[in-house]
Amino acid sequence: MKTTTEQQPASPRAPQPGATALELRDVRKSFHTNEGRLEAVAGIDLRVGTGEIVAFLGPNGAGKTTTIDMMLGLTQPTSGTISVFCKPPRAAVEAGEISAVLQTGGLLRDLTVRETVTAIAALHGAKSRIDEVMERTDITSLARRKVSKCSGGEQQRLKFALALLPDPRLLILDEPTAGMDVSARRAFWDTMRQDAVAGRTVLFATHYLEEAQDFAERTVLIGAGRVLADGPTAQLREMTGGRVVGATLPAGRPTAPAVAALRALDQVTSVRLEGRRVSVTGPKSDAAARMLLNELAATDLEITTPTLEAAFMALTGEDS
Amino acid sequence: MNPTYVRIELFRQSRDVGNLMFTVLMPVVMYLLFGNMFGGGGEPAGNGNVKFYVMSSMAAYGAALATTSIAGTAATEAMLGWGRQIALTRMTPAGFVSSKLAVALIVATGCAGLVFAVGAGTGARADAPWIWTASFLIAVLGSGVFALYGLGIGMAFKSETALGVASGGMVFFAFFGNVFMPLSGTMLDIARFTPMYGYAGLVRYPLTEGFGAGEGAGTDSLGMLVANLVAWTLLFAVFALWAVRRSRARR
Repeated sequence: MKTTTEQQPASPRAPQPGATALELRDVRKSFHTNEGRLEAVAGIDLRVGTGEIVAFLGPNGAGKTTTIDMMLGLTQPTSGTISVFCKPPRAAVEAGEISAVLQTGGLLRDLTVRETVTAIAALHGAKSRIDEVMERTDITSLARRKVSKCSGGEQQRLKFALALLPDPRLLILDEPTAGMDVSARRAFWDTMRQDAVAGRTVLFATHYLEEAQDFAERTVLIGAGRVLADGPTAQLREMTGGRVVGATLPAGRPTAPAVAALRALDQVTSVRLEGRRVSVTGPKSDAAARMLLNELAATDLEITTPTLEAAFMALTGEDS
Repeated sequence: MNPTYVRIELFRQSRDVGNLMFTVLMPVVMYLLFGNMFGGGGEPAGNGNVKFYVMSSMAAYGAALATTSIAGTAATEAMLGWGRQIALTRMTPAGFVSSKLAVALIVATGCAGLVFAVGAGTGARADAPWIWTASFLIAVLGSGVFALYGLGIGMAFKSETALGVASGGMVFFAFFGNVFMPLSGTMLDIARFTPMYGYAGLVRYPLTEGFGAGEGAGTDSLGMLVANLVAWTLLFAVFALWAVRRSRARR
């Protein structure tokens, strides 16, 4: 079991331990729409080793859900191959080796929670796991409640329970916390981190950047149906060019020479001034901080690491 | 087909009280109304009496309405994404359809059974017990055809209103299928080509042996009734298949 902390070595390739759980080779998918052919997935290559936890990050319309549908055998790729534990996706689904929490719907509103779990368990031939799975996903107390009376977070936990029924080795989560409030999201990921996930390979699609940051050791960034970046989550953040040092310059002194001195520092990529507040971006934050405090007598010093959001925007060219 | 899945699905359908009342009680009420309308219904007709004629017609209508509306629920399920959830299990599309059909036929059995039970208690008579059995079995098994129709309508329109459209269509088919009241003349000529004509005619065949009840109505041969049912079965099957394929392609 690997850790999910950010102290990953900054190797050029993501660590890929163990055997291959999932492999996509030049997978493409196009749809016919009223406006002509739409290439939703434009050639994705991806290999996920067993035991990895991978975030699949991208804006809406990037092709995440289409790609996931193909991994699960719900949609056939136009070209390219997908194998799940060296099998075609549908065979892996039937063997109970891959399972998923799907993004849209997927529940019958007039069934109770218990009935829903029982129905799907029967189809998996996994009725003996019902109680255990309900306990793990914390829905035992909701057993007799109608699905329509469950909150968004409770329905999501139910879908998570359904995904765990076949005891899959590879678990795919498509926007698993969409529509949850902050505390429900935290509770969901706590459940995920517990034994429910131990030893499983997990791939989750998200556009909540904090989730990739907090939970995945490896992030695959996709946009316009292509892989834009693939590497350790921590490394991805560094791709935006290091840290930002912010400080307030003292009043009564001209700011122009200070800005010029900061610009002259080694490896500084940008210096911005707003009023008396200066921000210096670059990989060597220490030198800038030392100069600001010692020579320039600046105050209120702050050093921040760019969020994944910034990395994301830099790579996808998205504005929001 | 999965027994546990069928059981849960049956429970679920039985909780839909509104739909169930409409499907189960309507044919019974209509039997009581129509059965007493035509000269008290006690008059002899074919190998039994008029009440048996009306009873078997209404049982056929009830059974067909039940399979239509239950098969149609597949549409709302698809809309809710339940089909995608099922697609992540071992169940195949054929398994899903056969489970749905099993549920539909069980409810149809209950529907037709209730009409027959009320009929037996209120004076429907046939000359031999096998006429009851044959009529009942044809009503239940033949109603499966209308499951294809319900599935097709449901998958083609994929909305809550699709169910209403399908059930409304059944009233129309029943009227033009010579089910509610005996037709005659041009109406009857047209009726021979509508989907419920063959089915209802076969349900009544043990009683009537094909003799028409309407004024000046001739005799329908067994082959003609079977041909009508087979033709519509094929047509509905093609329609259902087309609708299911189309709904998948659109995703």
